[in-house]
Amino acid sequence: MAIQVKVLERPIRQTSYVRAMLKGMAITFKHLTNPHKVTWQYPEQKWDLSPRWRGTHRMLTDENGKAKCVACGLCPQICPANCIKLVPGEDEEGNRYPLVYEIDEFRCIFCGYCQEVCPEEAIHVGRHYENSEYSRAGFVYDLERLMAQTHPVCEMWDPADPRGE
Amino acid sequence: MADAQQVSLTIEGRQVNVPAGTSILEAAKTVGVLIPHYCYHPGLSIVGNCRMCQVEVEKMPKLAPACQTAVAEGQVVHVYADRALTARKAVLEFLLINHPLDCPICDKSGECELQDYTYREGRAVGRLQDPKRFNPAEDFGGDVQYVTNRCILCTRCVRFMDEVAQDTVLNVSERGDRAVIGKFEGKDLTHPWAANIIDLCPVGALLSKDFLNKSRAWELDRTASVCPNCTQGCNTILETRDNMVVRMRPRSNLDVNHYYLCDEGRLDYRWMNRTDRLEAPLVRRGDRLAATAWDDALRAAALHLNGKRAFVLASPMLSNESLWVLSRIMKHGGGAGGFRVRREPEAPLPGVPDLARRAERAANVRAAELFGFVKSDMPLAGMQEGDVLIVADHEVAAADAPALAKASAVIVIGTTMPELVSNAMVALPSTNVAEEDGTFTNLRGRVQQYRQARAAPGMSRPVWWSGGDLLVFLGERAGYYIASEAFAALAAQQPEFAGMSYDSLGFRGQVLAGQPVAAGGAAR
Repeated sequence: MAIQVKVLERPIRQTSYVRAMLKGMAITFKHLTNPHKVTWQYPEQKWDLSPRWRGTHRMLTDENGKAKCVACGLCPQICPANCIKLVPGEDEEGNRYPLVYEIDEFRCIFCGYCQEVCPEEAIHVGRHYENSEYSRAGFVYDLERLMAQTHPVCEMWDPADPRGE
Repeated sequence: MADAQQVSLTIEGRQVNVPAGTSILEAAKTVGVLIPHYCYHPGLSIVGNCRMCQVEVEKMPKLAPACQTAVAEGQVVHVYADRALTARKAVLEFLLINHPLDCPICDKSGECELQDYTYREGRAVGRLQDPKRFNPAEDFGGDVQYVTNRCILCTRCVRFMDEVAQDTVLNVSERGDRAVIGKFEGKDLTHPWAANIIDLCPVGALLSKDFLNKSRAWELDRTASVCPNCTQGCNTILETRDNMVVRMRPRSNLDVNHYYLCDEGRLDYRWMNRTDRLEAPLVRRGDRLAATAWDDALRAAALHLNGKRAFVLASPMLSNESLWVLSRIMKHGGGAGGFRVRREPEAPLPGVPDLARRAERAANVRAAELFGFVKSDMPLAGMQEGDVLIVADHEVAAADAPALAKASAVIVIGTTMPELVSNAMVALPSTNVAEEDGTFTNLRGRVQQYRQARAAPGMSRPVWWSGGDLLVFLGERAGYYIASEAFAALAAQQPEFAGMSYDSLGFRGQVLAGQPVAAGGAAR
């Protein structure tokens, strides 16, 4: 014997979709003309980064275009993720200079300690977020690449001005 | 020391008992209180010119320099009294007037006493507004570079050259704030022990040119070792960075080298980092040597040795354990052994009794002779026709080539493949002094242990390990897996080593049984 299913008989004004659809269309048309927009038009329109944003690194250079780094070894020492490789050496004038300076941006946790510890204000975390590469190896930034970056750098937290005002 | 009168005093609330005549500074060290100091060094005379070690002693009207004040019965010393701290803070401020703030590029940074004490007791911020004095850096000759600006004029280097090296080269030139360490006219730091002033310097004023800008002090791993470069057996610290030995420094041992290490010894560490090493056991397959497993190679070596006389060419750079295992391989078939040792002029350090860079430039000549290897310029002369020649990390010179041809088979045990050996049947990779634990016997019969500082390359093993396994293949009782085990077996069988173990050796060493005791010198 077939199962008995109770079928409710509803009036047409309750079951018709026309009313609901018109209601939805009204909202759509309202937003089409309403200037209140939430969506960011990303590649054209970019986000304002906080002055304390910590992104991928940048090595600052002196007036001669050389890296400010003196290979003191404090950033690899303080780095909690152990992502900085530094081999010290001498340049042509006998000054202490990094022979190898590499930051593995994949391993980096962007804590900004390297910038905070640097006595020469050479290495900085940058206000920058667009990082894409075709290979993992591309995320190991060497000295040349760090020096070639041009994005603005992070302003570290200043105890005298804790809210950055 | 038993006959010296004992004095008891209180330092920082701790009861101290020391012989009369000890300085407060030395007495404080015995209870673990380090009184800051610059000019004082236990190996040099006391001048008290840095004024850094001032402490408060009860019932004394003024602060006392701890390095120069002898202990007295019932004295109560306060190292961290307010008055003493203020005085030391002022001394540090004066020292820092002209000291540049270049710690980031200074090689001493991290092991600098000025840094340490300033961090502990100094002012956080300098008050001086005037510019700092500037003098250019100067090359002092030898391995030493003098960075004038960093000098605090403690005169340790001047006193070392005067009193210990007894070659007056350095002086304090000029007066007042222009004072610098200078060289006498026409003199240079050519003394063979001159580089010790680099270790003596409490700040970064005297730097090693060899180590300059190579590494930071905190990146180094330090291992207690023994200098393998002559028969003196100076105690050293091997410092490694990224598995590479980058520096060798003296480790104090008042029975051997006091606080010093000769220039040649300290700079001769590069061979420990060689990269052209034997890394896997090799056996001959046709006309080439093929890498194989340890057991295969040892079995092949045992087959060659079986029933034959072995002639062992053993390097005097090998440890006691290794040489002893090799001597057992040698005696297994009633064989013989020999070695050659490089000789160069001896260079004594006059200020320390019985300390010199010895003529024989190898670590373990004493033990090699003790275990029956014959020292000779032509070590292969004793080889007979048909012997199996074992070359154990020993260099093969052109003069040895005719004797090589007499061997029925050649087995190489070594860190590298000797160039002139073309007909080796088996090659077993071994470790060098930086890559194994072991002991050396110095020329006065002092047995001293050294520790492993870097990882051994590939499959290489210490000679006492591979040699012990080879003995097992030959049917003897052997087979050691840690160095102390090999040493225990050696101590049980060699009467000279009776009663010794790695624990009893410690890091000061022990003298062989039956060794005449020299007065005050190395064999004390």
